[in-house]
Amino acid sequence: MEHIRTPKVENVRFLDRSSGQRKASVGTLYLSATHTIFVENNPESRKETWVLHSLVSSVDRPPPTPSGSQLILRCKDFHVFSLFIQQERECTEIHTALNRLTRPESYSELYCLSFNPNVNIEDRAQSWSFIDLMSDYKRMGVPNNLWVHTAANSEYKVCDSYPSELFVPKSAPPSIIVGSSRFRSRGRFPVLSYFHQDTLAAVCRCSQPLSGFSGRCHEDEMMLQALMKSNPGSDYIYVVDTRPKLNAMANKAAGKGYENEDHYSNIKLQFIGIENIHVMRSSQQKIIDVGEMRSPSMTDFLWGLENSGWLKHIKAILDAGVFIARAVADEGVSVLVHCSDGWDRTAQACSVASILLDPHYRTIQGFMVLIEKDWVSFGHKFSHRYAHLDGDPREVSPVLDQFLECVWQLSEQFPCAFEFNQRFLISIHTYVYSCQYGTFLGNSEKERRDMRLRDRSHSVWPQLWKDRSKYTNPLYQNQLSQNQSQGVLRPNTSPYCFKMWKGLYHHMDKSVPPRQSPADFLSAVREESHQLEEELTNHQERIAALTGRPVTWEKVQVPRRRVSQQWQRYLGPDPPTTYTQPITSPAHELSSKAANHKAGTAHPHLTLPLGVKGHDPSDLCTCSDLESGVADLSSHSSSGGDDGKDPDPYEAASTTA
Amino acid sequence: MSMFSVKPMKPTFKCYLPPVQTDVKKAIEPIKKLEPKLLLGEIVVNEVNFVRKCISTDSSQDDLWGKLICTNFKVSFIPQDAPAKQRSQLSHFLLGEHDIPLTCLDQVVTVNDTKGKRKVLGSNQKLKFNPTELILYCKDLRIIRFCFGEAGPESAKKVCLAIAHYSHPADLHLLFGFEYQGRRYHEYKAKRVNGSTPRGGLQTPIFDRPSDWDREIKRTGASEWRVCSVNEGYAISPSLPEYIVVPASLADQDLKQYSSFFPDNRIPLWCWNHPSGSALIRMASITDPLHQRKIDQRVFTAITKSHPHRSEVIRLDLDKCLPNIQDIQSAFFKIRQICVMDPFEESEERWLSSIENSRWLEYVRAFLKHSAEVVYHLDGKNTSVVLAEEEDRDLNCIVSSLVQLMLDPHYRSLIGFQSLVQKEWVMAGHRFLDRCNHLKKSDKEESPLFTLFLDCVWQMMNQYPAAFEFTEAYLTVLTDSMWIPLFSTFLFNSPKQRNQHLADFAKNKAIPQGEEQSVYFPPVWDWSQQFSFKDQTLFNNPMYVGKGAACVQNGEVKTFRRTKKTYSSTLRGAPASMRNGLKSGEETLPRRGSLVSELKPDFSPVKDVVESPSERFFRDWFSRPIDQQGLLIPLLTPSHMALWKLFFLRWVPEACIPKGGSITAYHKLCQLVDEIEILQIQLRQYKGPSPGSTPLPSPSESRSDQRRMYFKASFPDDPSTPPDFLTSSFPFTPVGNLCRRNVHGTPISKFLNGAKIWLSTETLANDTV
Repeated sequence: MEHIRTPKVENVRFLDRSSGQRKASVGTLYLSATHTIFVENNPESRKETWVLHSLVSSVDRPPPTPSGSQLILRCKDFHVFSLFIQQERECTEIHTALNRLTRPESYSELYCLSFNPNVNIEDRAQSWSFIDLMSDYKRMGVPNNLWVHTAANSEYKVCDSYPSELFVPKSAPPSIIVGSSRFRSRGRFPVLSYFHQDTLAAVCRCSQPLSGFSGRCHEDEMMLQALMKSNPGSDYIYVVDTRPKLNAMANKAAGKGYENEDHYSNIKLQFIGIENIHVMRSSQQKIIDVGEMRSPSMTDFLWGLENSGWLKHIKAILDAGVFIARAVADEGVSVLVHCSDGWDRTAQACSVASILLDPHYRTIQGFMVLIEKDWVSFGHKFSHRYAHLDGDPREVSPVLDQFLECVWQLSEQFPCAFEFNQRFLISIHTYVYSCQYGTFLGNSEKERRDMRLRDRSHSVWPQLWKDRSKYTNPLYQNQLSQNQSQGVLRPNTSPYCFKMWKGLYHHMDKSVPPRQSPADFLSAVREESHQLEEELTNHQERIAALTGRPVTWEKVQVPRRRVSQQWQRYLGPDPPTTYTQPITSPAHELSSKAANHKAGTAHPHLTLPLGVKGHDPSDLCTCSDLESGVADLSSHSSSGGDDGKDPDPYEAASTTA
Repeated sequence: MSMFSVKPMKPTFKCYLPPVQTDVKKAIEPIKKLEPKLLLGEIVVNEVNFVRKCISTDSSQDDLWGKLICTNFKVSFIPQDAPAKQRSQLSHFLLGEHDIPLTCLDQVVTVNDTKGKRKVLGSNQKLKFNPTELILYCKDLRIIRFCFGEAGPESAKKVCLAIAHYSHPADLHLLFGFEYQGRRYHEYKAKRVNGSTPRGGLQTPIFDRPSDWDREIKRTGASEWRVCSVNEGYAISPSLPEYIVVPASLADQDLKQYSSFFPDNRIPLWCWNHPSGSALIRMASITDPLHQRKIDQRVFTAITKSHPHRSEVIRLDLDKCLPNIQDIQSAFFKIRQICVMDPFEESEERWLSSIENSRWLEYVRAFLKHSAEVVYHLDGKNTSVVLAEEEDRDLNCIVSSLVQLMLDPHYRSLIGFQSLVQKEWVMAGHRFLDRCNHLKKSDKEESPLFTLFLDCVWQMMNQYPAAFEFTEAYLTVLTDSMWIPLFSTFLFNSPKQRNQHLADFAKNKAIPQGEEQSVYFPPVWDWSQQFSFKDQTLFNNPMYVGKGAACVQNGEVKTFRRTKKTYSSTLRGAPASMRNGLKSGEETLPRRGSLVSELKPDFSPVKDVVESPSERFFRDWFSRPIDQQGLLIPLLTPSHMALWKLFFLRWVPEACIPKGGSITAYHKLCQLVDEIEILQIQLRQYKGPSPGSTPLPSPSESRSDQRRMYFKASFPDDPSTPPDFLTSSFPFTPVGNLCRRNVHGTPISKFLNGAKIWLSTETLANDTV
């Protein structure tokens, strides 16, 4: 709190630009250690907006105007807020404070580590074992007589950005692993990412070789040989360098580069041409600018979209995934994927390929596992890429954003293939940036271990799993039971099939009803179907009671099996892995929880009407009932509350009914 | 012809004759007699054997051999070995998989690859070379190619000339519909005797008689308006219907007097009434400024008198702010060029900017936006609106029908939509004959206004998928029907022309006097002419939340709308924890307030301070819950305008997503709705037979042709996965319908397939061989 000199400013005008608010509302601004809070003066609504400091990417201050000074808060989830402060001095102070608060210098300043929720330790420990990567490897049939677990990286002694648990070809002894790792950027030697049981082909990943112009390494060559041998069905492997060839060649000058096909027997080298993080960063900025245009013409929009190059980049990543998936599923050839360091483009390509290959990763739980595996465990530099701490801006890049968008584009092409909807993807996006949970903190497994994150913070996955009902795609067509080759997604990657992800970039668009209404309709239909079935059962029972004999024939003729299965899925107990109880459930424990805990699980820009008049939010300690009020208050508030905006005209009738 | 074989080896470009085939057996196989499937009155004009139809762009591997036939109705190709019919296609009663109606032909291009010659064929033309290839550019955007490598050169030439000639009919009555419908009438007369339902069972009002207008007046509560028969026998204007609706305060005499000042004597035409009393009127613009003020004044006064609050009238001149018919034609030309003509690799590179460059989406948006503004006047300001256009026969058709579509849920039902087209297009005198250019007389008059309108409808449907009873497949099939000259809907320029031709037709074909026109020459709305009942269910939108969507629940009949309520309240009642996570509430249910900004930028510059009344109107609307059965306003920011892929890209193989696309969602929804309907039937059975009705059959017995959904619920033993034939192009297929590149990839073919195909050149300058 030492950075906050002005914790409260009155008569501030506030504008939520991203949600399309046009008329500024007047109210009071509060600065807390974790949030910027704006409370509307309007006694009717007393609407509150909470903006998490860690989600703010920049605080701009345009030149002051006669009416006052302005601050523009741009958030990492593409929200934009404007604050108009009358007093220049106050504005300066708020600006200074926010500049400091939104740029934490050490992890200890981060939100998820700063609060100490009153949760029992067991629950927290369980939250961390919610995702068990070993059981996912087991699911894909690993270890087996081709791929084995290696202890080479225990205590991260071979590669500090890799997980300690790794799978390698059976024929690769530790000496080869260590030798190969010395010949690879940052020691990231080839390891298994995904094993395809049908074809026995595998997706493997590593970093670029330190070959320079002529360097070679016997162990590395043996390692690739071992990869090839661990797929009995093929006598060669693909090496996919996801970079543009030019970039890969440029790396040679720095003693890095790509595999020389003359030195490695039986490899086929393939460049994909995904651009580097700097290109992606500026491309995303351009697409954000397109989204922020106030009244674009058709020309502005289409040219802006094309010139941003964003969709082209998304296509390149998807193309990489398609290439790998085809090699593995159609040709039965193993693929070794790398880029430069093997933690950005490689993570994208491998995880897209896995999504295409395996329907399991298209479920809610499977998708969590996939991110945990290909991104978190394999040392994607979350804290650098998503600017968790104030650091080198050149390290920041929307790598995971792009992966999430690839998945979204796929879900647009195959509306029934994913168990989750875009809300799920957007939620993950926000959690990645917001630092509310420990899952995405740090840059590697080792860093997280050293920070003892498991003792100091929570995992995000149980929270997402608990909320799964709102992330569920009702159109989902379960393909898990199909054989593997049928379950492979074969997307079209022609430019015709890519569109702007309005849900993410056009913030106000996220809740456009048309996008959701087929899904909502389906949920309604399913609900209706369910009710009808119950009705039917009731009638049957009544008839049975009246006639004294059971009626049986109807059940047989109603095609219920599929649906009831699904209901079971949704209503059934949590998966048997480890997680059994709700952990950080603010709703259940609100009244007993400390205020900071509640704020911790709140929406980063939670906007809610304040029903309790006379409540003073400056006293954060009394906020404990703020959120508990959300559910109750919103239902009878007419303005501001999300629920009050329910599009269902019959809602009022139903609540009174 | 002994060289002929069913599957040829690839002939090289230099070698005219195909390589000698090793498989001799096939060559001596008796050649099947290939008979065309002919409609009543259809005759074969010319035919040629041993023709190869190109199937895919890159290889001749799948090409089909067969006979190419030109009839007085269509170009037909009958394959020697018919491959199993692709399930993805609708089975059309009038057209086979390889048939193209002559009216659908846009350009007939003959090519001689060896001589490096090509020619676009018109009517009665000569051809100085023997064509090796025939390329048919179709108005439904297909591009179909036939190769004559092994066909008799003279016969091939004759067929090409016949196709060109017969696709340029000299006169309207030479269109095949006039032959076919006459035969059909007499053929089926006997069958009809017993089931003589009024209007041939057609439910869509045609608006050719007072009662149709009367019903519309009553439905919209337009009590201060009357049906007037001043134009009976087209006494005043040939382009107006015989019965029109006018302000009650205007006498026939006034109308007659005013009419002389309007172009084509078109007196203003009532379209629709808002429940609040404001009216939508369309009219032509008086050119003489002296008279204009005076007459406008009188007409407007009468309109004001018909308004319950006597509120003022707003006049909107559409030709001053919207693209004209040439703009629209050129935009369509360009977007078609990008989507189907240009080689894929070229359009791929700069796809978005090419789309932008065509301006098609911009125009679509402009019409929607303008219509939304009219909605604001009618609904928000409660003023009557007069749409004015020079002739009142083009842009007015689009805007008036879009406005009504937004305001009146009736027009979002299938019958309602058809009646809207009938009222605002067919009877209002849209020049379908000229705009479609059926007679290929004047390219200047050709303009795809109706297609543009359907694209606008599609945009609305794309944004509000539960609000329309029909599907995009329906809209696409409707565009295709424009090119089948068998329906009275799209053949005429005006009601009078239609009436005259049909009367002459009836006389010539000995059709008894007093017979309904819609019986002896039916409009397109009688879909059973084209499709089976089962195929017509593809028009049904499973998501439609209509008034009639009743269902039984808790022993009472409820509607889907109320069911939705139950649904929402279930969500509402969910534990708070569900909504307490990130993006809680806000995303759990759509939040309308956030939409405001989407529209705002379009209606005003963004300033923090003032809000114009129309902005406020739109903001209010977007902040309210949406009522599928109420007013619908389209979202107009550019990101909400989408390319109508099913229409523009259905033939493009590169755009096709196997087992994907929105059709997979449609499939799933159909199954669910079908399942619900089965459950409802069962429930009704439990209630026992109500007096006077027989018990419904159990679902296994219920005939599939009684079910509304195209895809049926799967039974427990069935896998419910979407069938393999589903692609994003469904129910159409790119296979064999878009051959834009020469199989051999020669320079000349590249040239021919490029942008310059539209130049009619007899000989190419360069020696390309």
